[in-house]
Amino acid sequence: MFDSFMWLAGFLGIPYQFRWGILWEAPHYTWIINGLWMTLRISAISWIFAVLLGIIFGALRTVPFRPLRALATAYVEFFRNVPLLVWLFFWYFGAPEVLPEPIRQWLIHHGMEFWSAVAGISIYHGARMSEVIRAGIQSIPKTQLEAGISSGLSVSQTYRIIIIPIALRLIVPPVTNESLNLLKNSSLAMTIGVAELTFATRQIETYTAKAFEAFTAGTVIYLVLCLGIAFVMNRVERKFAIPGLIARAERAEH
Amino acid sequence: MKRIGIFLMVAMVILSLAGISAAEPTLEKIKNSGVFTVGTRTGSPPFGYINKQNEWVGFSIDLARLVHKNIEKKLGQSVKFELKESAPATRIPLLSSGAVDLIAGTMTDTRARRESVDFSLTFFVTGAQFMVKRGSPIKGVKDIAGKRIGAQQGSTNEREIRTRYPQAVLVVFPDQPAAFTAMTQGKVDAYTNDGIQLVGLKMKAPNPDDWEVVGEPYTYEPYAMAMRKNDSDFRQVVNVALMEAIEGGEYFKLYDKWLGPKSETPYPLRHDARTFLMMEVVPK
Repeated sequence: MFDSFMWLAGFLGIPYQFRWGILWEAPHYTWIINGLWMTLRISAISWIFAVLLGIIFGALRTVPFRPLRALATAYVEFFRNVPLLVWLFFWYFGAPEVLPEPIRQWLIHHGMEFWSAVAGISIYHGARMSEVIRAGIQSIPKTQLEAGISSGLSVSQTYRIIIIPIALRLIVPPVTNESLNLLKNSSLAMTIGVAELTFATRQIETYTAKAFEAFTAGTVIYLVLCLGIAFVMNRVERKFAIPGLIARAERAEH
Repeated sequence: MKRIGIFLMVAMVILSLAGISAAEPTLEKIKNSGVFTVGTRTGSPPFGYINKQNEWVGFSIDLARLVHKNIEKKLGQSVKFELKESAPATRIPLLSSGAVDLIAGTMTDTRARRESVDFSLTFFVTGAQFMVKRGSPIKGVKDIAGKRIGAQQGSTNEREIRTRYPQAVLVVFPDQPAAFTAMTQGKVDAYTNDGIQLVGLKMKAPNPDDWEVVGEPYTYEPYAMAMRKNDSDFRQVVNVALMEAIEGGEYFKLYDKWLGPKSETPYPLRHDARTFLMMEVVPK
C-alpha cells in the first residue's frame, strides 16, 4: 500500500519522500490515541448537552405560548448565526473574565480549555439541533396535540409523553447529520488549546515535518469515525422508524 | 457509470493541482510563471507582519527581496514578487506542493525538517525564553515545574519543554495571538517562544511595561529560509544573495532597521552571532 503512495507522489511529481512509518513510531501514535480519546470525549459530552438543549428549545419553539417561543427563537438565531470559531474564543477568552476571581482561578486549574470548548460546541450545536427537533415536532399533525389535551393531559405532559417521543423517532436522519457535523467541528477546540485529534496530527507534522502522512492519518480517522456513526445511526433509524411516517430509501425506489 | 465519472473528476482535479508543481526546477518555474512567491508570516514582528499602516513588512521579507533581485539577475528578466501567509503547520505542504517557492519567515533549521526541505544559510540566531507578567516568580526554565506554560504549536521550544521539562503543564495554542492573550488574562503563567518573538510581542502589547522577557535562552534557534529539496541551482541563488548582503553590509543595515536600538524590537546582534554570520560567507 505504501509503495503505491510512493508511486503516486512520483507520478504527480511532488518532490517529497513519504515515510508512513512515522505514524506508529513512539510517541506519535500515543498522541494520535490521546487526541482521538479527547475528540471522542469532547464530542460525546457536547453531543449530550446539544441534544438536551435541542429538545428543550426545539419544543419551546412550537409551544402555544408566545414569550417562550420568542425566547427559544432568540436563542436559536443568536447562536447559530455566529461562526463556531468566534463562539469558542468567546467562551474561552471572553466569558470567564467576568467570573469572580476565585471561580476563574479554579476553572483555570481544572481544564478551562476543555469546558470552554464544550460550552461553545454544545450551545452552538444545541441551537442547530433545536431546529431539527422543531421540524420534527411540526411534522406531527396538530391533531395529536389536540387529542392529547382533550384526553386530559396538560400541554407539557402531551409534549413529554406523545409529541417528543414521536418527533425523536422521525428526526433520526437529520440528527445523524448534525452529530457528524458536531464531531468534525470539535477539531476547532484546538484553537483554544485543547489537544484533540487535529491537534495531534499537527503535532506530528511539527515534530517530523511529514505533513502529508500526519494529515492523511487524521483524515482517515475522522472518516472512519463518521462512517461508523452513520452506520450505527442507520441501524437506529431502521429500528425506530414509524411505518408510514418516515420514508425509507428502499421504498422510495418503487 | 456515475461512480467512474466522479472518480475521473476527482483524479482530474488532483492532476491539475499537481501539474503546477510538477518537478520542474524552481528557477525554471519562476521563469515560466514570471512570479516568485514567498511564504512568510503575518503576525511575527519584526520578521513578517502587518504594520500599523496595514503594509506587509519585515526583516525576513526584506531579505527575500534581496533574493528576488538575485533571481532577476540570474534569469535576466523581471519577475513579480508575491507574498503568501504560511503558518508553521502549513508552510512545508505549501512549499512541497509548489504554492510558494521560498519560506522566509521565522523558521528554525532543524535536522528533522531537513528531511523534508532544504535550508539556506542561517540568517538570524535566537533562543527560547519566557514572557511573564512583571514581577512573576518565573525567572527562567528552572522555575516552570507545576506552572502552566503557554506555547505555540509548531515551535521547537514547545518540543523542548515537552521532552526536557515534563513537570510543566504545557498548554499549546495554534497561533501566537491566542497564546499571548491567554497569558495576559492569566490563563497561563508564562508564554515561551523564541526570545526575539517575545520582544516583538511585548512591543505590540497595549502596555509593554507590564510584561517581561526573562531567562537565559534554553534552546538554539537558527533561522533560515526553506526551499524544495534537491534544487541546488535555486539554493545557490538564495545563498549567494544572503552572502552578498552580509559581505556588502546590506544585511547589517537591514538588521539595524528592524532590530537595532532605535527599532520597535531592539535585539542586539551578539558578537558571536555576528562572527558566525560572517563566517558563513565563503570566498568568491
